Amino acid sequence: MSEFASSVVKTYNETASSSLTLSDLSATTKAIVRAGQGTDAAAGLGAPFGTSRVVDGTLVVGVRPTEWVVLGPAEAVWAFTDAIDNTGHVSKIDFTHSRALFRLTGEDAPKVMEKICSIDWADAMMPDSAVVSASVAKVSCDIIRNDVDGTRSYFIMSDRSSAQYLFDAILDAGEEFKLGVTRA
Amino acid sequence: MMLVPCPNCGPRNASDLRYVGESHSRPNPNEVTPQEWRTYLYMQDNPAGLLKETWYCRSGCRQYFTALRNTSTNEFTNHPLPGNKTGAVDPSFHYVSESKSDTNDGASS
Amino acid sequence: MTRLPLQPGEVIDRSAPLNFTWNGDQISAFTGDTIASAIMANGNRIFARSMKYHRPRGLLTADFWDPNSFVQVGDDPNVRSAHRLAEAGMEVTAQNVWPSLDYDVKAANGVVGKFLTAGFYYKTFMKPAKLWPAYEKVLAQFAPGGKVDLNTPHMYHDKRYAHPDVLVAGGGPAGMAAAIAAAEAGAQVMLVEHEHLLGGSLLWGTEADRAVAAELVAACEAADNIEILLNSTVTGRYEDNWCAIAQRSHPIAVERLIKARAKMLVVAPGLIERPYVFAGNDKPGVMLSGAVRRLINLYAVKPGQKAVVFTANAAGDRAAEDLTRAGIDVVRVVDARNGGNIVAAKGGAKSVESVELGDGSTVEADLLVTAIGWTAPTSLLNLAGDRPAYDPVAARFFSSQLPDNILVAGGLAGDGTTDQLIAHARDTGELAARRAVVIAQTLQRLTARAVNVDGDIAPMPADDRTTLRRDPHPELHRSTTHGLVDYSEDVSSKDLFSAAKEGYDSVELIKRFTTATMGPSQGKLETVNTVAVLAEARGETIAEVGTTVWRPPYAPITLGALGGRIFEPVRVSSIQPWHEANRATPILAGQWVRPEHYGDPAGEVRNVRENVGIIDVTPLGKLDLRGRDVPKLLSMLYTNKWMQLPIGSVRYGVMCAEDGVVMDDGVTAHIAEDHYMMTTTSSGAAGVWEWAENWLQTEHPDWEVHITPVTTGFTSINVAGPKSRELVARLTDIDLDPETFKYMQVRTGSVAGVDNCFMWRIGFTGELSYELHVPSGYGLHVWETLLDQGADLGIKAFGLEAQRIMRLEKGHFIVGQDTDGLTKMPSVGMNGLIKLDKDDFAGKAELAISLEQTNLPKVVAIQTTDPTIVPEEACQIVRAGTNEIIGRITSSRMSPTLGRSICLGQVLPEAADAGSNLTVVMTTGERITAKVMEHHAHFDPEGERLRV
Repeated sequence: MSEFASSVVKTYNETASSSLTLSDLSATTKAIVRAGQGTDAAAGLGAPFGTSRVVDGTLVVGVRPTEWVVLGPAEAVWAFTDAIDNTGHVSKIDFTHSRALFRLTGEDAPKVMEKICSIDWADAMMPDSAVVSASVAKVSCDIIRNDVDGTRSYFIMSDRSSAQYLFDAILDAGEEFKLGVTRA
Repeated sequence: MMLVPCPNCGPRNASDLRYVGESHSRPNPNEVTPQEWRTYLYMQDNPAGLLKETWYCRSGCRQYFTALRNTSTNEFTNHPLPGNKTGAVDPSFHYVSESKSDTNDGASS
Repeated sequence: MTRLPLQPGEVIDRSAPLNFTWNGDQISAFTGDTIASAIMANGNRIFARSMKYHRPRGLLTADFWDPNSFVQVGDDPNVRSAHRLAEAGMEVTAQNVWPSLDYDVKAANGVVGKFLTAGFYYKTFMKPAKLWPAYEKVLAQFAPGGKVDLNTPHMYHDKRYAHPDVLVAGGGPAGMAAAIAAAEAGAQVMLVEHEHLLGGSLLWGTEADRAVAAELVAACEAADNIEILLNSTVTGRYEDNWCAIAQRSHPIAVERLIKARAKMLVVAPGLIERPYVFAGNDKPGVMLSGAVRRLINLYAVKPGQKAVVFTANAAGDRAAEDLTRAGIDVVRVVDARNGGNIVAAKGGAKSVESVELGDGSTVEADLLVTAIGWTAPTSLLNLAGDRPAYDPVAARFFSSQLPDNILVAGGLAGDGTTDQLIAHARDTGELAARRAVVIAQTLQRLTARAVNVDGDIAPMPADDRTTLRRDPHPELHRSTTHGLVDYSEDVSSKDLFSAAKEGYDSVELIKRFTTATMGPSQGKLETVNTVAVLAEARGETIAEVGTTVWRPPYAPITLGALGGRIFEPVRVSSIQPWHEANRATPILAGQWVRPEHYGDPAGEVRNVRENVGIIDVTPLGKLDLRGRDVPKLLSMLYTNKWMQLPIGSVRYGVMCAEDGVVMDDGVTAHIAEDHYMMTTTSSGAAGVWEWAENWLQTEHPDWEVHITPVTTGFTSINVAGPKSRELVARLTDIDLDPETFKYMQVRTGSVAGVDNCFMWRIGFTGELSYELHVPSGYGLHVWETLLDQGADLGIKAFGLEAQRIMRLEKGHFIVGQDTDGLTKMPSVGMNGLIKLDKDDFAGKAELAISLEQTNLPKVVAIQTTDPTIVPEEACQIVRAGTNEIIGRITSSRMSPTLGRSICLGQVLPEAADAGSNLTVVMTTGERITAKVMEHHAHFDPEGERLRV
């Protein structure tokens, strides 16, 4: 089988030592779990709507009131989702190929985001591990705050087809803050 | 731009949502007369005052919800927003999820 | 040169001189000069000619609102020269002058000025209407404003969203004090100042004033939680404190729009000085007190030699002091508080030479300074629904009622000493911060993802500020003579009197009729005088006449800033790199960039009909449906039946809206138990998803269905042509035996080594075809493998155009192309798919009615009599020998397969029967004949080719 191809196809000069970075993590395995309120599956997932949590090497993200995205290495994601209780109306779908995934890291990350998205990035409204869905540069995205060693970091997940456009739009917005591209 | 209080996402810019329309219950298609059906399709109450209406949180939770809005002031009276109108603030307000089964929209998007 | 020696408060840097040109002449300036202050310092007094009469004009306010000093800077027209800072090398020219600023031919209008009274243009050039183009050509020569250079390169613009706790509009003493107090109380503050420096009127005040300003500025700059935006304007306030800020000082963008959702808005813009209406009030040398004080104190420019000062307040008194200190001979101070008045400014066109006073005497002077009162800039309050009320004692408007999230400080709120105004503003800032906390906590409580708020949220803090007093001020608007009310629009008090006499006597009418207040200052200088003159004409009070409603923007904003960053998302499939490398001609379909063809669409069609072709159909909408109630949902969405679709089968369906209009169509496959895959049209994908969710969430929340859009999760490739089976067999482990994998069936398996693919046999092209859906991360790999493996079979990629030709050969309608927003389902010839015996489905009630209707148009296949003529799409079909429209061509192409022109069209029932003769009106007007065909399909109507 050939290698997974990201839809960010352009090549970029990578910056090793920028304090503000953008990386393409589209190859990350992504699973959707749908489970109605009150099911054992929902209880086991934790991470209610608007929040995320790290479990067993995966990031469980409450993207909708009855919908979760599980991110991580393939083995961890499938091990976690396979173990989710199937009682009731529960669906598990491989979403790896539907979504692009980027990570924007650096103290200036909110300044980049506020140029392309109308959400309030203040700590009170968007604390670490919070999740919000919003239009970013006119593309519907799920955004997860996931700080790295105390440094601001956002996962940005969008439809695969507009990923190249979105990646470039974020880079353009971040130019005044010296946003650089790094490898995942 | 006004804020619309999504029961799941909280107050969001109106452009993050789609306005579906007035909430009216859909007549039973097997019993309705043509006159009643066309009234349901095309006639709006359009009051100056309280209106029960349906919104779709398109950029956020992707849920349909009903809201009670005063069309003269844009106050949402069942989930009031903070600070925007004189005397309209009820800071103790906390949204209790409503049953959505009374939301009815038959019009095409 | 009229540059004064060093002034204690000057903002120019004499160690940094620079040069620019003014109408070709060298101007020496200092860094910190405005264009206007530098031009004036070089001895020039005339900046422009007025709009209608082309009268020479000098500085009036010497700030952003100056109506008389618009200039062209390079290719940038209508620059406010008393605001824009001078830069080295600027090429500045006067506007609205011909042939030159000093000698202007159009000033002849001044001679015939009596013909240019209010409404002159309306009355003179309205009729006859057919002459308007000729009028317009001549009048355009007289239009004011600079020259737009159409070759100006596009500039980089930007946009930003902000969510300050407290937004302060105005960086004068009150605004700064409010910002500091709010910041001390813990609020995140955004402080927006219109000018280039914080400080407001203190900057051109006394030494003590400047010391106060310096202290406030230092405190603002030291506060981490105050963001200072200079040379920026809050241009509008909208619902829920959504505020627009034009930031003219961004380091990268020329101008950027900040959309700020402020929890609290503090409005502290200060007051705008109002001109006095009297004869000659637009002669160069007539200035407001603020203008001379700015020129002297900030820019060290001497505004004249001999001055008369007409004063009704402290600002005028200070101006007299400043003038004297600067060595200008103040020949007379006329005090309105003691009954003094001025009647006329006299002299040549280019300067005041003498001033006629109210006592009948005349004084020689080249400078007349007036200080007769203020306009309260209540715009942002108006935009919040406030209707400010006029106070005749204080002679200005004050706020009536404001929402809780707006507070007013400074001169807009009342009067007092600087200390009192600052104390009030500090209270305002502190109150704003406390209210912002309540608002922030309520927002947090309403937002699931936000930090939790423990306990009760305090009630909205009451306004406990001490009210500022209102000082009495003489009501001064017009002298005993007539003069200009609106300098930008050349509207005089006489014009307003005549307009009122003609019946335009309401404030909104007179404004539109005379254009008073409609010029570039947008009423900042003119509104109150307009209202006052109208009140005088009507014999009423200002309060009785009322005022116009201020509208946004408070200050002009460029279209570029409103446009902001250009967000135009495009969508591409995973095969896009191959399309680009193989020179596909792109076509934009919605947001999707798709290959229209690869050079020869007709050849692509022939190759599919003869060999095998592949097309990238990824944009096809795909919805993954799971749950035990999926058949119920499908039955509700489609007009036909879905309860018995076997696993492994695919069915076609049409969706109608509740008004019976065709909304979308496509196939849905039953892939596994409780698992279906629905396809929609490319453009309908998002809409169908929302539509289906609506039915689930609002009508049938009890149904167990999960809808997940997977349009781009799968790269979709249609393999079509007689050799498609042979090709696909080389790549897949799925059994393609036509006895077991039939037309309209679906299978899952691997393709080109890629697992988790599914494929179905359908036939939009009319050929044997397999539509492959492969996980998108491997889409390009599968595409390239197909091309590689199919080389010996004559494989070629084909584009959207070839597919459209083939579907037209097969007579398949396209929703939105062959149907429109009024096309109900009975029009498309698929009544067999409308199952009224189902209990319910979207559109059922309407379709039951419309099936009885006999007048609905029909979609039919049409062929022209002359096979070489292809009528353009949308050509009308008329009743023979008449111009009565009875239909139109909706799709047309030259068919490479049939070698003739083929069409689909909509016609009324009278012409819809097979064999009906039609008259088609070509775009040239020529009429051709055509015939309605028996079948929708022009080619292989029995569908034998796709079932093999």
